[in-house]
Amino acid sequence: MSYFVVGYFAFLVLGSVLSAHFNRRTPFLLLFSLTLVSFVLGIVGGTDMLRMVAIGAGLLAFAAGVSYSFREFLIVIAPVGVGKELKTAPLTAAFGMFVVFTYIIAAIFAPVIAPYGEAEVISSAYAPADENMLLGADQLGRDMFSRIVYGARNTVGLALAATISAFLIGALAGLLAATKGGWFDQFMGRVADVIMSIPSLIFALLMLSIFGPKTIVIIVAVAIIYSPRVFRLTRAVAGNVVVMDYIEAAKLRGERTWYLIRKEILPNSMAPLIAEFGLEFCFVFLLVAGLSFLGLGIQPPTADWGSMVRENATLISFGDITPLIPAGAIALLTVAVNFVVDWMLFRSSGLKER
Amino acid sequence: MKTEKQMMLDRLADAARRGSVSRRSFMACATAAGVTATAATGLWTSSARAAPARGGTFRVGIHDNNSSDTHDPGTYLSIQHIFLAHTHRSYLTLVNTDQTLGPDIAAEWTSTPDATEWTFKLRDNVTFHSGKKMTADDVIASMNHHRGEDSTSAAKPQLADVVDIVKDDDYTVTFKMAAGNADLPWTLTDYHLCICPANDDGTIDWQSGDGTGPYKIVDGEFGIGFQLARHEDWHLDGAYFDAVEMIALGDPNARQTALVTGDVDAISAIDLKTMALLSRDPNLVIYNVPSGSAITMPMHTNVAPYDNVDVRNALKLAMDRQECIEKIFFGAATVGNDFHHSPALPYWPDDIPQREYDPDQAKALLKKAGAEGLSISISSTESIFSGAVDMAVLYAEQAKAAGIDIKVVREPNDGYYSDVWLKKPYCMVRWGARPTPDVMYTLAYKADAPWNESLWQNDRFNELLLIAKSELDNGLRAEMYREMAMLARDDGGTLIPLFPNFVYASRSNVKTGDGLAASWEMDGCRAASRWWFEG
Amino acid sequence: MGDILGLVLKRLGLGLVTLFVISIIIFFMVELLPGDIAQAVLGQGATPENLAALRQQMGLDTPAPLRYLGWLAGAVTGDFGTSVVTGERVTSVIGERFQRTLFLAAYAAVIAVPISIALGVIVALLRNSIFDRVANVLTLTSISSPEFFLGYILVLYLAVKTNWFPAISSVSDDMTFWDLLNRTFLPALTLVLVVMAHMMRMTRAAIINLLASPYIEMARLKGTPPWKVIVRHALPNAWAPIINVVALNLAYLITGVVLVEVVFVYPGIGQALVDAVSKRDFPIVQACCLIFAATFILLNLAADVGAILTNPRLRHPK
Repeated sequence: MSYFVVGYFAFLVLGSVLSAHFNRRTPFLLLFSLTLVSFVLGIVGGTDMLRMVAIGAGLLAFAAGVSYSFREFLIVIAPVGVGKELKTAPLTAAFGMFVVFTYIIAAIFAPVIAPYGEAEVISSAYAPADENMLLGADQLGRDMFSRIVYGARNTVGLALAATISAFLIGALAGLLAATKGGWFDQFMGRVADVIMSIPSLIFALLMLSIFGPKTIVIIVAVAIIYSPRVFRLTRAVAGNVVVMDYIEAAKLRGERTWYLIRKEILPNSMAPLIAEFGLEFCFVFLLVAGLSFLGLGIQPPTADWGSMVRENATLISFGDITPLIPAGAIALLTVAVNFVVDWMLFRSSGLKER
Repeated sequence: MKTEKQMMLDRLADAARRGSVSRRSFMACATAAGVTATAATGLWTSSARAAPARGGTFRVGIHDNNSSDTHDPGTYLSIQHIFLAHTHRSYLTLVNTDQTLGPDIAAEWTSTPDATEWTFKLRDNVTFHSGKKMTADDVIASMNHHRGEDSTSAAKPQLADVVDIVKDDDYTVTFKMAAGNADLPWTLTDYHLCICPANDDGTIDWQSGDGTGPYKIVDGEFGIGFQLARHEDWHLDGAYFDAVEMIALGDPNARQTALVTGDVDAISAIDLKTMALLSRDPNLVIYNVPSGSAITMPMHTNVAPYDNVDVRNALKLAMDRQECIEKIFFGAATVGNDFHHSPALPYWPDDIPQREYDPDQAKALLKKAGAEGLSISISSTESIFSGAVDMAVLYAEQAKAAGIDIKVVREPNDGYYSDVWLKKPYCMVRWGARPTPDVMYTLAYKADAPWNESLWQNDRFNELLLIAKSELDNGLRAEMYREMAMLARDDGGTLIPLFPNFVYASRSNVKTGDGLAASWEMDGCRAASRWWFEG
Repeated sequence: MGDILGLVLKRLGLGLVTLFVISIIIFFMVELLPGDIAQAVLGQGATPENLAALRQQMGLDTPAPLRYLGWLAGAVTGDFGTSVVTGERVTSVIGERFQRTLFLAAYAAVIAVPISIALGVIVALLRNSIFDRVANVLTLTSISSPEFFLGYILVLYLAVKTNWFPAISSVSDDMTFWDLLNRTFLPALTLVLVVMAHMMRMTRAAIINLLASPYIEMARLKGTPPWKVIVRHALPNAWAPIINVVALNLAYLITGVVLVEVVFVYPGIGQALVDAVSKRDFPIVQACCLIFAATFILLNLAADVGAILTNPRLRHPK
């Protein structure tokens, strides 16, 4: 039995005993169940498995710690009202905010953070990681870490711009259609039908082939493809709200359309829209990555995560983790955004029970 | 007890049987072990050339497919087309596995001394899959498909010099040329020029998919795959497999996975990134064959600054070809020397010094030309070849050392060859393999050629091109091509960094002959009739 | 029920108009593509003279609007014309491929829809528990890597390393149904993973959105158990957005399979469509897009009818 195993279990047992002694229920349950799980896995998988469990638990604890400190930090620096709201945020949401914050910093200060330029060739192909290159080099000998950092700027910027435009167009049209009804509703519905009925990948393929794979074309194409989805959802949700009695009442009061949308319909349709935003954001990533799979996405040498996955995707069949790094960056952001979205959804639903 | 020498020879013979050692290294090892060259040759023949076994279904994954392909030879373009054509149809002549010219349907050929009339004697035992005998009429109709006003064939330029094709008797045809062309038999290996059954009105029936090749089509669809069965009356030796199954595998990962799991026996291209990793698998054999295709970077020689030969040569010196081969092609390319004549082609001059990366000399040349701190742009796009833009970026980085500022312009994929090539003064191009240097030089380097991509005008070069074309003495031709290569290298406007190799792979139970034809992937696309399964 | 029948008829009529508009858009987008069909067919090796000959042979020298009208005249009589490149009938080119694509989509839908709605209800019930979080993270991770990459990973673990399923899904007509299911399992699973997260999360969101409504509060105060509150009271009113998102994802399954088909070499319609675009083969592109569009319109209609049937207030608009 190695020192590691002895020390590991000693730490867990001591922790459980202490938390039990001081009547801390949650930490005790956590620590003790971890101890039991470690026992079982240690017997089945030996020291190596135990080490992996320890690393996993350590990472989780670290993430929790970071999220907790970050939340406290936000509460301290935020104005009083916002601070109060933040106190209700669960740790997952704090974690999401932390990740999003990190990505934003990376995106804004990319040239400062990245040690090398995104297209700068500094070593041989696939050079392993060393003190100069945190994640090693890619096939041209460019620094992987620098490209990931620049990728944050290009990928997140593009996806965000496209998603926001899609939401502005779609939600506004949807709310107007639901409120106004009549021929406007019909007309917008038909326009949305036409756009949505054209297969999105083919539509993007045609658009990009015609106008060339420029960033602005990608944003416009993606916004056009996704706005009808937002429109339909908004229309459906707002449609259910519009038939509510309080809207009838407001209409009888003689309120104007814009007031109805802003004060009555939007707040009551917000929750599904927010949930949709988080997901749409991921789908935009997917679509852009899919386009680069067909050779039409963001063009090299600009770094973006989708193309970085594609360029090295075949390596995964040999257990090489190179493509997992940008894929992981996408996954982490997606999960983080949706954690935050979940919390906002929870708040806006007006649900007080936990 | 065996001597050490005997054991070594046994191991070598074993390796030869498995096919894991090339003939050249076998000979080197065997002679090093003290065997005479003649004895080593005998040993190689007896171990490696054990009679190929017949049988089995050869399943091959093809990388370049299009669902709207057809059997019309005039529209042949994809590797799916070319592989299928060499499997179910035949040609007049073919490229042997040692890169020499060999007979296919034509048993022998002769020409007049000025090379303006070529007579081909056809085999009399060639039959179509339908059972019909092949005669001179079928050959003439098949060639005429690519000639004349109404022809829409992409191979029209190759036969532009042919004035008439005459039937001498049922098994003899004569090609009459406008000017002497010593390369006509080579030209006839072009993948478009296959033989289809003739209709009564002199057109061909390409629609039925009938042919005279080693395998006949049983079923299939372009873009998905084809099942073929052996044509028992085929006129050549080979066709060891009982059946051939072509599967369209466009995705590099799917292709490679199918090979690793044994779902196919061979694939026509591999992802170069994973070449090193794939070669570690003992069940696979990877073939890395120098080809006749080329990457060129033409500069318009009539436009400043490219009208100055020193600037052109400085730009040629500013490229580190080895780094490009290593990083963009992962070693699977042959270094270029700025003349469009690959080592895989006949008459290749092997004694011309290689141009190396030399930023200092480039700087000196620029100074001489009064063009220090040169700033230019180069056009490229991903559709030329995978990594084309990366290569331009790499070149720009390398040229910085020579004080040259190169801006990489990323052009749209679609319409690159109609809007950029021949229009922008400095761009990147990929050329497919042509059978002989004459065809290549005539297409893209002749002064008045429509595709003279560098607009290069060199009187001596053009004069030599014409003389060499009708020269039947191989030694004299080789000398002329050497002089032309030197002219193109030192005066021409085209930077030729490298010739990409064909890289394909098979399971190790698939055996090949002594060499691999370099005209196309998969042994000149004749793998189906040339390879076999280990017995 | 009469008014619903009327609505269906009206919507079908509108659907035809939509298809007509789409056919115009697609035709002119294909026209706008740089280069033309003759150039695409002959490739880099084209010379001006054989380009001209091919254009004439393909009938490209008539003006575009005339060619569109010619196509339209055939289309209204059910004749979608012949491929410009191969001269084959469009129906024979895409018929079988479309059936295969439909089969794959149905396979994935049969797995994905029940599982994701059930999961959605469960996580709404157990909201904010550890189960909710884990389900959330897993589904989000599965949709946040590009689908081709997801496919590669599935192939690596379920085909190359374990040999449980075949790595490529080439299918033939003489396969048994069981064989077919086994062969196409990996692409179907990829599609399931891609669409599940969206449907599950929308189900969850729609239900949670209703939990603050007075009538739910009422049911809860009466002492109804939480699962009954959700299944009996919240779910029926949440159907509208759920059906909507299911319809969207079903449409995605049929039209969005291009990449998955490429990764698994499944001979469906996706690859044919991409090839047709690269060759500018207008009748094929047109027919594919119209089939996709028609599928989408029908699914949509079904979703709207479903939404109306589940919400009495919409059934009788004031």
